[in-house]
Amino acid sequence: MRAIRSKQLRLAIVVAVWAASISVAIESSFAQPSPAAANPEKTTLPRLPDGHPDLQGLWMKSNGGFQGLFIGSLDGTNFAAGGGRGPPAPQYEYLPQAAAEKAYRQKHSYEDPEGRCHLPGVPRSLDQPAGLYPVQIIQDESYVALLHEANHDVRIIPTDNSKHPRNYWAWDGDSRGRWEGDSFVVDVSNFNGRTWLDMQGNFVDENEHVIERFTLVDRDTILYEATVTDATVFLKPIQFRFTLKRVPAEQQILEYSCLEGERSRQHFTEEDGGNKQRAK
Amino acid sequence: MSVLRIARVASYFLALTAACLMPAPPASAQATSGPASFSPKRLWDGKTPDFRGIWQAQGTAYVNVEGHSGGKGVAASSSIVVDPPDGKIPYRSDALAKRDENYRARATADPALKCYQPGVPRATYLPSPLQILQSPGNFAIAYQENHSFRVFHPDDRPHFDAADWWMGDTRYRWDGDTLVADVAALTDQVWLDQAGNYHSTDFHVVERYRLTDADTIVYEARIEDPMVYSRPWTLRTNLKRVKARNARIIEDECLDDEHGVRHHISPYDRDNLLTGEAWREKNVASK
Repeated sequence: MRAIRSKQLRLAIVVAVWAASISVAIESSFAQPSPAAANPEKTTLPRLPDGHPDLQGLWMKSNGGFQGLFIGSLDGTNFAAGGGRGPPAPQYEYLPQAAAEKAYRQKHSYEDPEGRCHLPGVPRSLDQPAGLYPVQIIQDESYVALLHEANHDVRIIPTDNSKHPRNYWAWDGDSRGRWEGDSFVVDVSNFNGRTWLDMQGNFVDENEHVIERFTLVDRDTILYEATVTDATVFLKPIQFRFTLKRVPAEQQILEYSCLEGERSRQHFTEEDGGNKQRAK
Repeated sequence: MSVLRIARVASYFLALTAACLMPAPPASAQATSGPASFSPKRLWDGKTPDFRGIWQAQGTAYVNVEGHSGGKGVAASSSIVVDPPDGKIPYRSDALAKRDENYRARATADPALKCYQPGVPRATYLPSPLQILQSPGNFAIAYQENHSFRVFHPDDRPHFDAADWWMGDTRYRWDGDTLVADVAALTDQVWLDQAGNYHSTDFHVVERYRLTDADTIVYEARIEDPMVYSRPWTLRTNLKRVKARNARIIEDECLDDEHGVRHHISPYDRDNLLTGEAWREKNVASK
């Protein structure tokens, strides 16, 4: 009984690694909503008393972003398939040394820190496999809080555009937000250099810097955009763009235990850090 | 259900009935700081009591909820068990041995040392702070410890108890200005403190959160577990508002040391920073 969900999800991730390793880039025919486009919903967006859009609720990445997984959601719907094909996966252009490192990590994907239950970093905390882990948003005039089911990851983002601290290095970095019109814009810095961007070895180092934009395009859709720069890893900024869809009210966020209920090491060989004997 | 278990449950309900017939605990056990008539600030709906902020338990009950002497830089604590009046957890006679065994092994056996989520109610009185996130219709607590959190769900739907959770499943309602939370489906893999006090999966907690002044929450947990305790019992402790400017919940993540043992690391510790030097040197060398 214990950690059933955790077990299933860990297994799902193992499946995802396989899927990712054989997946091919999918071209987009999916029209993304644009915040700039004329939006008849704009005037009817739910808002807090301070006038800013109300981002609160339970949300799930519907498609796009990391394309490693095509399995069911909480109610059996396949969000990824049902939502049509997503936008293209992020395009990476690495500096030469970093390209060699990326190739190394792709071959050693069991070293992915998220596979060892570490916090995923940004934007990976949102760029989870589509339709799998929701995020609960609670908001007031001074913060927007993201409570991620995956890795029970929490980001409480102030809205006052305050400065990043000095001498602070974290898996999720340090997030400072501000409202730009109806978009919540977050500046994320102070990373500890340990996170990967996905299961395929794409990575960043301690110089990562992210600008995220959360835009409520209609009552049930948040457009999420992130621009990732890292001058010591990438030749040019990496763009992430996908949508979060409101999860039906009868569903709730569940607990994700990883380290606490981890069973996936049995699937890895001793050589790869697990408990299994390598096949002779 | 085994005969033994039926007998246990029956004796438990007898004890429960006896407890109800007993005179109320002495006034001292009921005393809380601040008058009961305190009217808290409201959220923007003008109605819901405003619990938002960063809070920290007073005292060192995290060492042992039954109280303990001081030492190793930790102040002594009296018991936060307010019912029964003797301040002792009313263990069943056949359940005490496991607590004592836990106690002896506590230096390595405490699940919290392995960086597991702390469970309820332990998360509340840890030496690290928590933040209450709230808006009309929403209530959640983010605990600094191991970035664990609980989303409180309204009690108009039953518990989601198809599995055991590390932080339980929480359903809440308002009793006047007091938030009353019913917590079920907790795993038996957590302890209540560093002293090995424990429970089974039949654990059930009713929490009460009440503001007694602008900067104090009185936290009460009524606990029952017929497999481990002979009767329900109650602990109570105060949470104080952390008022320091720029106070916030910081990231608390663990990392394996060279022996494969996980330790909490601080984001303020430069040793936590992994620069890209290592992989750059490696890839130059490999060319």
